Amino acid sequence: MQLGYVAKRCGVFLLIIWLAATLNFFLPKLSGQDPVREKLLQQAQLGGYVQAGIEAMAKEYEQRFGLDKPLWSQYLAYLHEMSRLRFNYSISHYPRTVSEIMAEAIPWTVVLLGTTTVLSFTIGTLLGALLAWPGAPRSLRFLMPPLWALHAIPFFLCGLILIYLLAFQLQWLPMFGGYTAGAFPALSLAFVGDVLTHAILPALSIILVATGGWALTMRGMMVTTQGEDYVTFAEAKGLKSRTVFLRYCVRNAILPQTTALALALGQILSGAVLVEVIFAYPGIGTVLFHAIRENDHFLIQGIVFSVIVALGVATLLLDVLYPWLDPRITYRRA
Amino acid sequence: MPEQDRLGRLSRRAFIQAGLLGAGVAALLPVSVPVAKPRDVPRNRTLTLVWTGREGRWIDHELWNPYAIGSNHQSGPGIFYEPLAYYSAFADKEYLWLAESYAYSPDFKELIITTRSGITWSDGVPFSAEDVAYTLNSLRDLGPKVRWGVDVQQFMQEARVTDPHTVVVTFKMPAPRFFYFMTYKYDIGVYIVPQHIFQDQDWTTFKHFDLEKDWPVTTSPWKVVFASPEQKIIDRRDTWWAAKARLASMPKVERNIWLPSAGEQQLAQALITNQVDYSMSIQPATMPTVFRQNPKITTHSGQKPPYGYMDWWPYSLYVNNEKPPFNDKDIRWALSSFIDRQQIVDVSWAGAAEPSPLPLPAYPALLPYINAVKDILAKYNTLEFNPKKGEAMFSAKGWKKDSAGIWVDPQGLRLSLDIISPGALGSAVGPVISEQLKRQGVDATFSLPPDFDIRFQKGQYTGALYGHGGSVNDPYHTLRLYQGASVAVPGAHLVNFAKWKNEAYDQIVDEVFATDMRDQARLLELFRKAMEIWIPELPDIPLTYNYHRIPMNTTYWKNWPTAENPYVNGAFWHLTYAMVLWNLQPTQ
Repeated sequence: MQLGYVAKRCGVFLLIIWLAATLNFFLPKLSGQDPVREKLLQQAQLGGYVQAGIEAMAKEYEQRFGLDKPLWSQYLAYLHEMSRLRFNYSISHYPRTVSEIMAEAIPWTVVLLGTTTVLSFTIGTLLGALLAWPGAPRSLRFLMPPLWALHAIPFFLCGLILIYLLAFQLQWLPMFGGYTAGAFPALSLAFVGDVLTHAILPALSIILVATGGWALTMRGMMVTTQGEDYVTFAEAKGLKSRTVFLRYCVRNAILPQTTALALALGQILSGAVLVEVIFAYPGIGTVLFHAIRENDHFLIQGIVFSVIVALGVATLLLDVLYPWLDPRITYRRA
Repeated sequence: MPEQDRLGRLSRRAFIQAGLLGAGVAALLPVSVPVAKPRDVPRNRTLTLVWTGREGRWIDHELWNPYAIGSNHQSGPGIFYEPLAYYSAFADKEYLWLAESYAYSPDFKELIITTRSGITWSDGVPFSAEDVAYTLNSLRDLGPKVRWGVDVQQFMQEARVTDPHTVVVTFKMPAPRFFYFMTYKYDIGVYIVPQHIFQDQDWTTFKHFDLEKDWPVTTSPWKVVFASPEQKIIDRRDTWWAAKARLASMPKVERNIWLPSAGEQQLAQALITNQVDYSMSIQPATMPTVFRQNPKITTHSGQKPPYGYMDWWPYSLYVNNEKPPFNDKDIRWALSSFIDRQQIVDVSWAGAAEPSPLPLPAYPALLPYINAVKDILAKYNTLEFNPKKGEAMFSAKGWKKDSAGIWVDPQGLRLSLDIISPGALGSAVGPVISEQLKRQGVDATFSLPPDFDIRFQKGQYTGALYGHGGSVNDPYHTLRLYQGASVAVPGAHLVNFAKWKNEAYDQIVDEVFATDMRDQARLLELFRKAMEIWIPELPDIPLTYNYHRIPMNTTYWKNWPTAENPYVNGAFWHLTYAMVLWNLQPTQ
């Protein structure tokens, strides 16, 4: 029975991937733009001068990218390449391939967003649970208005404020970049420290904003859970307040948060686009932003396809793992 | 249940441990590590600059072959490929470099270039005439596949080596500007490549980057020591043929760091805190803030407007001359009368600009040409703001204003003008000019379409804001921007963004093409004849000069190119940046 459930989920997973990949192929084409010609024109017009022979050059490169073939042929080639996780050349980074570019940028984003997502989830969930708990210190309640206010502003705006205060005025932290300008990467503690120092401001701008969201949803779930019979029963049994809080309330209230966390982790690959852009942080968000601006079909397709797969895998894992996390959920039909 | 608890605790612990381990490993993954740690260079011998990049990262850090598609000489490769000659428009001076001399045949169908002796590539192989001939012949053969290929293919028959220091270039037609075309100035010039490195490579994909092999191979005093999406680091080599030959002094800059821009706000802050010495242009409104907080920042014009120098790219309001009613010169003149250029200067550029009467910059070598047509400009004032004159022109043609105050032609069609533009120019000027035109009864709109380049090039526009990448030392390159057809240059790629056609004008420009660049008297005569047609016709509507407002930090470096010391224009993204590098002096 369990095997059938997993097989069915895997089937749905593959269907979703195919549908999303198909949309991913056709949507950028709908813009009607010609990315190769635009790229060449940009290059040809460097400094305002217009170079000769752009038409001939564009034809040459359209052939090289396979863009001279009929759309159905491009689509089949695309599906074939995607199924082997092989991506084309990037139009805007030519002659670099999409895979090379992604391999370079993804680790930066995974480190930044993985850490910030887990941290903001942990802090936010804990704060949310405490805020709904009658036994929590009253002083905690003062945290809620600023957390909600921060949650209402975009990451990048928070980032700009932090840059001004902590990097420009106080000069405590670096303004931008993945590491100090002029520093040579090395497998040393000093360099790792430098990388981490540069990640503090972008990370902080995400954590400050995201924590409020996690706290808000957790608080709502806690309020609902506290009204459940099993909590009243636990209190009536005379269990310690800490036990009721952690084992009876938090444990039950955290399930929707776990789902959201899995989806948030799945979305990591799309990056925190504007945060990465304003901090010149070399992650996948800046790559995606650039790819969209330059209408680089192949790079957009590569990144979006990776996000789709990551989200699909996260959802599949959740589907499979949920019954283990919550015994009330079963593989069997009701 | 206890078993599940235990499993749960183990999972959490394992998760946290795995997470921490993963984070630690991942923190080290993103960075590319150099093959060997380069030497330490103190800050006061380091020149840190910020250039555009793309969204805060370099996308071409592995591309040091400027002919590869995707490569861009503006992002560093420019200084590695020394030219046959440099030209400084500000000094109006040619500096012969890899070439010792050159001479054309009387009919300009042959060019003899003599290269200097004593020059070696960085791998020890001597530089020779073979490298020049190989570069030119390859460009001819590659044609549209690489930058400058079509330009060379169009003119050149063959480049032949007659001895180790002599190249004879033969042309299909007279080509009196071919050496000038190859000369480095602004963004134009042919990059001479090492034959022994490039000969077995596909120029379109060859990166010419390998730190272990000390690539890119160069005759310049520069060496790439590190390149990643975050930064490009270029160090000075120990020796340089040009210093030995006393053509230039050995650069005092020992390290040049190129950073991609994270945005103007961050850039301004980095200039204020002395993290950056030199940067791309910033908005005039930002300049006073930067000066106030860091008095060591200066520009070409010091700390006074226009906070920079006049670029070679005066811009205009283009109207598509093929589309009615803009195919009528009187309508173009009427629009010109509706535009208050001083207001554009004041509002769009915070007072830091000047109106341009013609589509060419007022550079020393071009001033005689501009002065030669002053009387025509007095009769046809291209800068005149006179709405009444414009209204009279419309009325004389039977146009009337409708109830909304918009001009309507005798057939009842409203006067609409959709203006498109690229980037910074459009953001600054677009809203102002469209509002000015609206107030005069033109249904003007403004947008920044992402496919501007294609639409503009193909003539799929009604109105556009754009500049003129034309002349800096003789009038031909600006004049040819308006040619509708050319007999002198068969198969020429014609720019003609305005889509204006005039056969008499075309013939004059063909005559200019065939005229020796040094024959100023004849060129003046032809330029005047061309302007006698161009100015009354007004194919596009001149607005203001363009400026490069480049901040230069005097904390660590002095002898920047400025109005008092104009040895070259200060754009480090131009092919003449090497001249700035060998002129800079440390302050400490």
